[in-house]
Amino acid sequence: MNQKLSLSLTDILVTVVIALIFAVIYSLWDGVYTILQPFGLHLNELVYGMWFIAAIVAYLIIRKPGVALIAEFAAASGETIVLLQFDISLIIYGIVQGLVCEIVFMLFRYNNTKVYTAIIAGVVAAVSTLPLDWYYGYLGQVETWNLILMFSLRILSGALLAGYLGHQLYRGVKETGVLKYVGRRHEDSYES
Amino acid sequence: MFDSIRLYETFINRVNPLSKILMATLLFVTVLLIHNPNTLLYFLLFNLILLIILSGIKPQYILALLGAIFISGILSSTYMILYGQGDTTLYRLGIIHISQESLIRGIHVAMRGVILSLFGALIIFTTRITDIFYALMIHLKLPPKYAYSFMAAIRMVPLIISEYMQLRQAKKVRAPLINKKYVTGFAAVKSTIITLLSQSIRRSYRLSIAMESKGFSNNKRSFYRETSFSRLDLYFFLLLLISLLISIYLSQHCFIFNTNDARSI
Repeated sequence: MNQKLSLSLTDILVTVVIALIFAVIYSLWDGVYTILQPFGLHLNELVYGMWFIAAIVAYLIIRKPGVALIAEFAAASGETIVLLQFDISLIIYGIVQGLVCEIVFMLFRYNNTKVYTAIIAGVVAAVSTLPLDWYYGYLGQVETWNLILMFSLRILSGALLAGYLGHQLYRGVKETGVLKYVGRRHEDSYES
Repeated sequence: MFDSIRLYETFINRVNPLSKILMATLLFVTVLLIHNPNTLLYFLLFNLILLIILSGIKPQYILALLGAIFISGILSSTYMILYGQGDTTLYRLGIIHISQESLIRGIHVAMRGVILSLFGALIIFTTRITDIFYALMIHLKLPPKYAYSFMAAIRMVPLIISEYMQLRQAKKVRAPLINKKYVTGFAAVKSTIITLLSQSIRRSYRLSIAMESKGFSNNKRSFYRETSFSRLDLYFFLLLLISLLISIYLSQHCFIFNTNDARSI
């Protein structure tokens, strides 16, 4: 069991490369998020979920412990490099999101690739940003209706953009046939 | 990485990368613990000066970056400015309610982001990325397979970008022949990402096989570059500490914002 689940060089390399592709997407996404901000009503929160996708896609592809955390960390730190800002807060957010995704996948014993696993991970990752934002952005002092709106949109976005879209990407990659080289050999669950 | 836009090197270039990361983490915690907008403002000015003087980057690039940092800082706090709680109304339009309290809080949150970005930019401009991984391996005993995976993957990013360009051109040429949804729109984005992902997986698989066949393992190894700690690390830390202390001192004596605490005004 242990041997089967430990990360090989291939696993790590594939994870980090996937994460860095998403790092480039993340930094482009930063522009989308920023442009949507002044419209108010938290329309920008609808795109927030994209920032959890690296962990989910990497997990679905490799299905081993630690992958989600490494992927999210690599994507976040890659993003800081692309954006020319070593932003430690971004990396801390990334680690927290990767960690909670990791916990979700652990509960599924790292062998579930059904779409609901991905969606649960996306939702949990969205919820995990609440405590950090609460303290960093003084959210306690924002009007309550506004706060609820903000987090419902963010959770919705986590489910759709990170969970559903992440799973779609995984299925697309699976169809290309490259996945027979990487990840866990024994596949005891099939995609829905 | 930034050699072409660098004018001069400063002692920050020789500070150990790990110290820089540690200081950035400490800075994050410090900034979270500062609730006085005056302190934050003075500290921001110090960080701005540090970036301009110590990064050694050509001024026009610094200016462009500063513009981006300040705009995104202001935009990131619009939620607080427009919807924050407060009694002293400055402006009201429908659901938008700008009060003096929410304005100051919004600026406070924006300054937090800007300070972290300024310091982060200083670090990125003065650090070679490979040195971070060497430092992690040498001082923190990070297993080489993680560090070299990162370094190899970073090398692949330009390849991936050129692959993306190729893909885009190929689609342009074939645009009249293929279904329109694969040229523009969601399906196009999806198919592009899937192509890039599958190509990169194949490439990293090949690379890892090549590395392992040449004997790459987690055995004891020597390093091409050495990193070490020196007195410069201490100087850098003191520089930050002193500017923080001066900011706190100044904020007690010259007010700019008419408050001491952004939480309770």
